[in-house]
Amino acid sequence: MTRSPFARVTAVSAATLTLALVVSGCAAETESSGSANGEPVVGGDLTYLEYQPHTSLYPPAGGFYPNGALVNNVTDRLTYQNPETLEIEPWIATEWEVNADATQYTFELRDDVTFSDGTPLDAEVVAKNFDTYGLGNTELALTVSEAINNYDHSEVVDADTVAFYFSAPAPGFLQATSTINSGLVSADTLDRSFEDFGAGNSTEIIGSGPFVITAETIGTDITLEARDDYDWAPASLEHQGRAYLDTINLVVTPEDSVRIGALTSGQADYARYVQAFDEEQVESSGITLYAPQTRGVNNSLSIRFTNPLVSDVRVRQALVAGINREEIVETIFTDNYPVATSSLSSSALGYKDESALLTFDPEKARDLLDEAGWVEGSDGIREKDGVALSLDVYVAAPQPLSQQTLELASQQLADIGVQLNVKAADSGSYAADIKDPLKTPLYHSMVGRADLDVIKSQYHTKNRNTLLSDDAHLDELLELVAGEADPDTRLERSADVQDYLAEQAYVIPLFEEPQVYGAAPYVKGIEFESVGRPSFYDVWLDR
Amino acid sequence: MRFVLSRVGQAALVLAAAFTVAFILLQSLPGDAILIKFESPELGLSPQQIADIRQSYGADVPPLQQFVHTVLGFLGGDFGYSVQKGAPVLQLLAEALPETAKLAFSSIVLAVVLAVTIAFLSTRAHFAWLRAFVRALPSVFVSVPVFWLGIVLIQVFSFQLNLVPVIGASPLQSLILPVITLAVPISAPLAQILVRSIDEVSLQPFVAVTRSKGASENWILVRTITRNALVPTLTIAGVLLGELIGGAVVTETVFGRAGIGRLTEQAVSAQDTPVLQAVVVLSALTFVVVSLAVDLLYPVLDPRLTKRAGVTV
Repeated sequence: MTRSPFARVTAVSAATLTLALVVSGCAAETESSGSANGEPVVGGDLTYLEYQPHTSLYPPAGGFYPNGALVNNVTDRLTYQNPETLEIEPWIATEWEVNADATQYTFELRDDVTFSDGTPLDAEVVAKNFDTYGLGNTELALTVSEAINNYDHSEVVDADTVAFYFSAPAPGFLQATSTINSGLVSADTLDRSFEDFGAGNSTEIIGSGPFVITAETIGTDITLEARDDYDWAPASLEHQGRAYLDTINLVVTPEDSVRIGALTSGQADYARYVQAFDEEQVESSGITLYAPQTRGVNNSLSIRFTNPLVSDVRVRQALVAGINREEIVETIFTDNYPVATSSLSSSALGYKDESALLTFDPEKARDLLDEAGWVEGSDGIREKDGVALSLDVYVAAPQPLSQQTLELASQQLADIGVQLNVKAADSGSYAADIKDPLKTPLYHSMVGRADLDVIKSQYHTKNRNTLLSDDAHLDELLELVAGEADPDTRLERSADVQDYLAEQAYVIPLFEEPQVYGAAPYVKGIEFESVGRPSFYDVWLDR
Repeated sequence: MRFVLSRVGQAALVLAAAFTVAFILLQSLPGDAILIKFESPELGLSPQQIADIRQSYGADVPPLQQFVHTVLGFLGGDFGYSVQKGAPVLQLLAEALPETAKLAFSSIVLAVVLAVTIAFLSTRAHFAWLRAFVRALPSVFVSVPVFWLGIVLIQVFSFQLNLVPVIGASPLQSLILPVITLAVPISAPLAQILVRSIDEVSLQPFVAVTRSKGASENWILVRTITRNALVPTLTIAGVLLGELIGGAVVTETVFGRAGIGRLTEQAVSAQDTPVLQAVVVLSALTFVVVSLAVDLLYPVLDPRLTKRAGVTV
């Protein structure tokens, strides 16, 4: 009686073992044919573990990593941003022209590209894509893409020429055409409502990319298959033609220990989101770590200066000087998380080093607070006119180890007499309270995006507005970054913003945030687009 | 018949109450799914765009109007759209339900097998130490956190011993560890009740009578004692359904299985009201059906109850 279930388990495992032997036998064969000389091998299935389920394949919603990972591999873009140089190179567009004030862009398109449903990718459908992304479609609840500003209209010049017109200079548009948010989808796909881009519809989202989604179980797994006839990779890539892999099985594994265990025990080949505290264990079991930077606004605390407690610049400067960012990175994170030296990442476009204004100096912090009239009370917390210098901050679920980071910061600030209350909340209260500077004088966030406009997205009052600012001068500076046509002048304007943010101590930059992936050593050709989403096109298996 | 009808009427009342209470609670939570989804900084939408979205979802119409709308929708089989996933709730439920049903059913079967084995061994095992050991098992089982058990089982049987894969497993393989995880804590109270009832029934005079008539100990245990001990066990089995639903949330999340539990976990963190509303009604429905079935089974197991039921109703 007790023996029979046992026997069954053994039978199952024997079957698995046989299967494994067969699979490894196949792999061994291909190995002898190809990888001996390091040449990529065509064929093979990859198991990729994702941390969260995706929510939408509408390309402008691709900022969320699980969405972006899919959109990046099933769609092509007009242009290709070289992830190393951040230069814009031809892809579906072979060449382009921009007028002097960046209000008119004309693209020449390849004429041999088709969507996976067989329809041609021509000027007509490109125009429809950008009309949707630039203007939105209220009826279908499709939103405007964050990356596109001042869009007015498109014009189909001929079958492979399309022009875009802007109501004001849009110097960021060229880069915007290279991002996941501008992934090109078929005309029929764009007739879907926002809901019809959601989970459960993935196989019906048609792009022209190297992979096609062929199966989906909502919330748990997705199958991507290579397109045999794919032949329009960015011209600058060495690899042309179809992707090397046959199939990618994307499995959602929310539980950290399961994701990491599956990777280290060989049940999966490649996984996103290796937490900082798991890195050592993962590397010691022979897994290779990849930590592409997100190249945008650093992981930082925005100080909501409209809150009277922190309206005095000296108080904000004291907060900046009171936080030991090196200690945070050393204690909680790893070398893959460099200490921030500005509001922007050092690998971001337009970055300027502001480290002189960001030094940890508790002495100076205490002096500044004394000067501003905040005196230490009996409990060690500074007070002024009977009000304690006690600030609230919410643990931000999207930020890696947010709670640990904030708790350490809280200990550091306690040293200079500032109380930082680290609060956790359900996502509803969180979403509501972070909009109130009185409830959340500090806000933990970051944005990953490799373009100059990213700083405006984060801090402008009409965009993410993480400072909940009322500073018109800051808005002006930010608009200059986004509205200037000359590329070099834009870099200077971005530096101006970083200077201003550092001088006013509006932001406490913490670290430069990577996306950390782990992959088995036989997984070769791992590449990421410029903001750290995986590109499976070049991946091949050397086993 | 009157008994059945009145029980069905009670069931409908319970469902309506669960629906209304869930609606009120979900409405009074701070924030909502649209706020959480569309104001997430990853989308970077302007306040105007967000206002447009809120309007297109009808998020800001008065609660009473929403209530009427939702009730009518539910009555017509339209559970609305999941805000977070963008898919119809009905489709989400339809995809998740069979998975959870498989998990739940297999777990109950295994839990019953475990409980009966424990009960049997604890009374019939030859060695006193073995009986004592087996009697201690339920208290151990009941205090094991599902979450921890799941992770330990995965680590040992999948990652260390490579007996069952967690990733890329066949449908049967993918059930093995989750079923054990879920069955263990459910089997514990079942076994406790069963053991205690067996002990109590064993002392009843009719057992002594049966024994004196020359029945074997096994015959007595199976035919006389167990049959009488089943009634309280069945009652607790109905209540254990709650344990099952809670356990499914954890088990499905740990094992990355699709199912109602996983759906609930994601909907809770995103405050996805339409999904939660449907899940509440579904759970309430399951409870009602199970307790109805249990009530109807009592008289079958114990003919004495038929008479009593006839008197009270």
